[in-house]
Amino acid sequence: MAILSLQNVSKEYVTDGQSVKALSNISLEVSGGEFVALVGRSGCGKSTLLNLAGAMDFPTSGKVELEGECTKDLDDAGLTRLRRNKVGFIFQSFQLLHTLKVSENVELPLLLAGRSDGESIVRNRLAALELSGLEDRYAHQLSGGQMQRVAIARALVNSPKILLADEPTGNLDTATGNIILQLLRKLTTETQTATIMATHSVEAAAIADAVVRLRDGKIEEIIRH
Amino acid sequence: MRWFAYATEKSKKLSDIEMPRLILFYRLLIRPLVREPVRSALTLLAVALGVAVILAIDLAGNAATGSFRSSVEALAGDSDLEVIAGGGIPETTVASLAQLPYELRVSPRVEDFAVRADSKQTLPLIGVDLIAEGERYLQKINSGTPESSKPAQSDAEQFTDPASIWIGASLKRNPGDRLRLIINDQEREYTVRGVYPDSNGIESAILMDIAGAQNALQRFGRVDRILIHVPHDRELDQWQKIIGDALPTGAEVRPQGTGTVENRRMLAAFRWNLQLLSYIALVVGGFLIYNTISVSVVRRRPEIGIVRALGASRNSVLLAFIGEAAFFGAGGAILGLPFGRIMAAGAVKLMGATVDALYVSSTPGAVELTWTCVELAFAVGLSVAIASAYSPASEAAAVSPVEAMARGRREFGARMHKWRDLIFALVLGVAAAIASRAPAIGNKPMLGYLAAILLVAAAAFAIPALVDAVASGGSRLFGKILGVEGLLASRSLAASLRRTSVLVASLATAIAMMTAVGIMVGSFRETVVTWMNGKLPADLYIRPAGSPGTDRHPILSLDLADKISQLRGVATVDRLRAYEISYDGLPVTLASIDIRGRGSPSGSTFFSGRREGEVFSELRREDAVVVSEPFTSKHHVKTGDFITLSLGRARPRFHIADVYYDYSSERGNILMDREILLKYLPDPAPSNLAIFVAPGVDPETVRQEILHATSKYRILIFSDREIRGQAIRIFDRTFAITYALEAVAVMVAVMGIAGALLALVIDRRRELGLLRFLGASTAQIRKLILVEAGLLGLLANIAGFVLGTLLSLILVFVINKQSFGWTIRFHWPVAVLLGALSVVYAATVLAGLYPAQVAVRLNPIEVVVEE
Repeated sequence: MAILSLQNVSKEYVTDGQSVKALSNISLEVSGGEFVALVGRSGCGKSTLLNLAGAMDFPTSGKVELEGECTKDLDDAGLTRLRRNKVGFIFQSFQLLHTLKVSENVELPLLLAGRSDGESIVRNRLAALELSGLEDRYAHQLSGGQMQRVAIARALVNSPKILLADEPTGNLDTATGNIILQLLRKLTTETQTATIMATHSVEAAAIADAVVRLRDGKIEEIIRH
Repeated sequence: MRWFAYATEKSKKLSDIEMPRLILFYRLLIRPLVREPVRSALTLLAVALGVAVILAIDLAGNAATGSFRSSVEALAGDSDLEVIAGGGIPETTVASLAQLPYELRVSPRVEDFAVRADSKQTLPLIGVDLIAEGERYLQKINSGTPESSKPAQSDAEQFTDPASIWIGASLKRNPGDRLRLIINDQEREYTVRGVYPDSNGIESAILMDIAGAQNALQRFGRVDRILIHVPHDRELDQWQKIIGDALPTGAEVRPQGTGTVENRRMLAAFRWNLQLLSYIALVVGGFLIYNTISVSVVRRRPEIGIVRALGASRNSVLLAFIGEAAFFGAGGAILGLPFGRIMAAGAVKLMGATVDALYVSSTPGAVELTWTCVELAFAVGLSVAIASAYSPASEAAAVSPVEAMARGRREFGARMHKWRDLIFALVLGVAAAIASRAPAIGNKPMLGYLAAILLVAAAAFAIPALVDAVASGGSRLFGKILGVEGLLASRSLAASLRRTSVLVASLATAIAMMTAVGIMVGSFRETVVTWMNGKLPADLYIRPAGSPGTDRHPILSLDLADKISQLRGVATVDRLRAYEISYDGLPVTLASIDIRGRGSPSGSTFFSGRREGEVFSELRREDAVVVSEPFTSKHHVKTGDFITLSLGRARPRFHIADVYYDYSSERGNILMDREILLKYLPDPAPSNLAIFVAPGVDPETVRQEILHATSKYRILIFSDREIRGQAIRIFDRTFAITYALEAVAVMVAVMGIAGALLALVIDRRRELGLLRFLGASTAQIRKLILVEAGLLGLLANIAGFVLGTLLSLILVFVINKQSFGWTIRFHWPVAVLLGALSVVYAATVLAGLYPAQVAVRLNPIEVVVEE
């Protein structure tokens, strides 16, 4: 069964009284353990698709289902619950809270979900991402690669069903970026998470199980490796 | 023409230079403020309230204290000198002066107060020699009387009729109308003969012939003041010498209107202290401007870098941010003017009541918004705004373009030096302690105020360390108690240490002043209550009808004391007589009591700690007096010193046998034995009676007996409990204005918190959006902001309470003592403090509601992607 299912999804924004179609009639299914790369030019709708998939936004038409739960049927509290339990986000600029230590950044989604038993989970996640020993450091004391690994640990801490990564290597040098990509690939397989990654990078797309090429809000082609 | 051409050229050059700057100023600084209307409005309103309070106290002070007895002075006309003596001047002196071989105009006057029987309004009563000077007074009087209503009776007949009175227009009576007046303890009916325009439009006086006034006041053979108009062929001090030589020993001559000057001097400390208190709200507003400009500087660091790279000088950057502050200062002043005018209307009532009850009989004048007030509003608004903005503006000017553009926006905490600041705080604290030990300068506690300012500054420097210790150190604990929102909120506050510290400092300053004034007033109240318990030994007290006034001493009929002492159940009747006299250029109350048999069985109200009986026996033995504590501080005397008083025909010297604690009046009292005072002022009529009820008799029964026996007298009878209640009511009313000032300061600070939280939400929108991505609900976002508001309130309450307690020590033991001369025993008004602090805390949390709502409404996708 697909973890993420998009059926005839369209998304329109109204800016300064003008309607802009960000996505048009998109249908896509992603299963657990599958690594999908979204490619295309800036403004083609990659980030919009990630936001819809992550229950951060509603489609104008069509359906987005996460493990069979349709986001359109949920209120704000329902969407929040869905994100807490099933979605992990990774951003290009890491988006760590500079006021929190590494371990606290990773623990944050658990605390927001009201869980206070996260200490061992955090330790395991940090160990899995080779971050042991950095628990008490603050974000500004880390390298770019370390920061992105902390962000991945944070995204995985609540064992999400789907991992959404928006240009995760965009702020990293090529070598570090490749390490992060390999890590994501490995984690997707190990945890059987459905991973969708928006990227401009050809190398990044090359490690994916499927590459979805978007153009003007439409799927131009899907290449399965 | 050449000049015109030069001026045109000059102005063209100026405008060529200034216009682009103005355009840049508008685009880079004013336009962003307009984009955040709520936050900008809150800062503007905070400054406006600060300016308004200062203006209101200034306007109300002028109105409430600037017009005492102005109707009396207005009727004095063009006199140059006045003769006065304690207890009145013998009437024969008038004749002696009139017989001097100079062209003097000698105008004797009797001055006291009358009470309208219908409205109980107290009015100045002036008796003048209408037979001799009627024509001159009629010129003033008739100017307010309509022609049609002038009576047919001849002027001479009207003047000699003891029931004739002339009144001010504000009493809204016409010639021929009847008016019932209570003078001393008698009520009589008078006929209005004429109406004159009031001196300030609202203050009226009753004018009658001097003989009628003497008769009504039972003041035979004496006048209260003699006004003298002298020819202008000599200097005034020469005339003063000539006339002084012709006076009996007890009388003194001084420039006319000196009494008004004396009253103003007496009120100086009262006004000065209120004015200083009114500046607190603006100081709090200053903190908020500092915060606003700091936020502005941090947000615009990249822009500063860009404009510097494009050619702007450091001075341009400095001036731009100073200009932003000046915008708030000027805007606040413009808004503050109407606010201040409205507030002044309320303040003048409170101040007027206090002046009337504690200092001198007065009717507040009209509140007048003059150009001086407008100048004051702009001066304080602009100067506080610019002074507050100088530090962050200098910081902005010091940033190099490369640094600004490379590092972009950075947190406030980057430049905090909390350990260095803590040392500053320590140094300032020690300086405050040293300043608090210094004596008054020119009767003003200048160094006491300096100590208070140094203490506030010390707290401002110590607050970052406190904020860091509590917010950082306690973040895990807050997390455990309040959940993840507690952890995030405390970490966020610690991370923005500078911003948080400024906010905490502003609210803490307001809370500190509230706490300090609360403790001072609570201590004062408790001291007064304790003092009154030992001060009112009698069961019942009697005085003539009408409202009490510290400078009004109406007398009771001579036979009243005897009548009451013969009543069943009455053990003793003590007589107290009070006079309004002038000593060493200040008004003083001189009082005499029946010393015989007096002496409270326990406790002492004397500095020496001696029993009352022991001190009073000393008063009987010799020409000795006891004086009140405020008298000693005003006139710099102590036990063992000698004072000389002008009493009737004599100038006797008295030995100060002891000093007693007294909280009834700030003006200072002199107390002596009744028998001794009668030697100098042989008027046996008492001002008050103290009735001691026989053992086992119910005072209420005696009160009824007295009421029955004295039905023809207009008197008021009070039990000791009623007098205590009345005194406490006056006390509470006196300090109501200080509470109002504190409330405005706290309101300004809370508005600042709301504005600053709003800025915090805007600056941290990425973080708030991210939390939504990570699974935070809207309720959690709201709680996060409210917890931040709550933590700010908690930190401010802690800092404010500690600072307030220290400030209260300065207020109680330094400023109060040096300003008013009262010894106050320290007392914690626990319930009042708890209530006030809780209200402020609740207000701070509520101030977070709107920013929390803004935070909830943020679109997480927009704010995260935007970054």
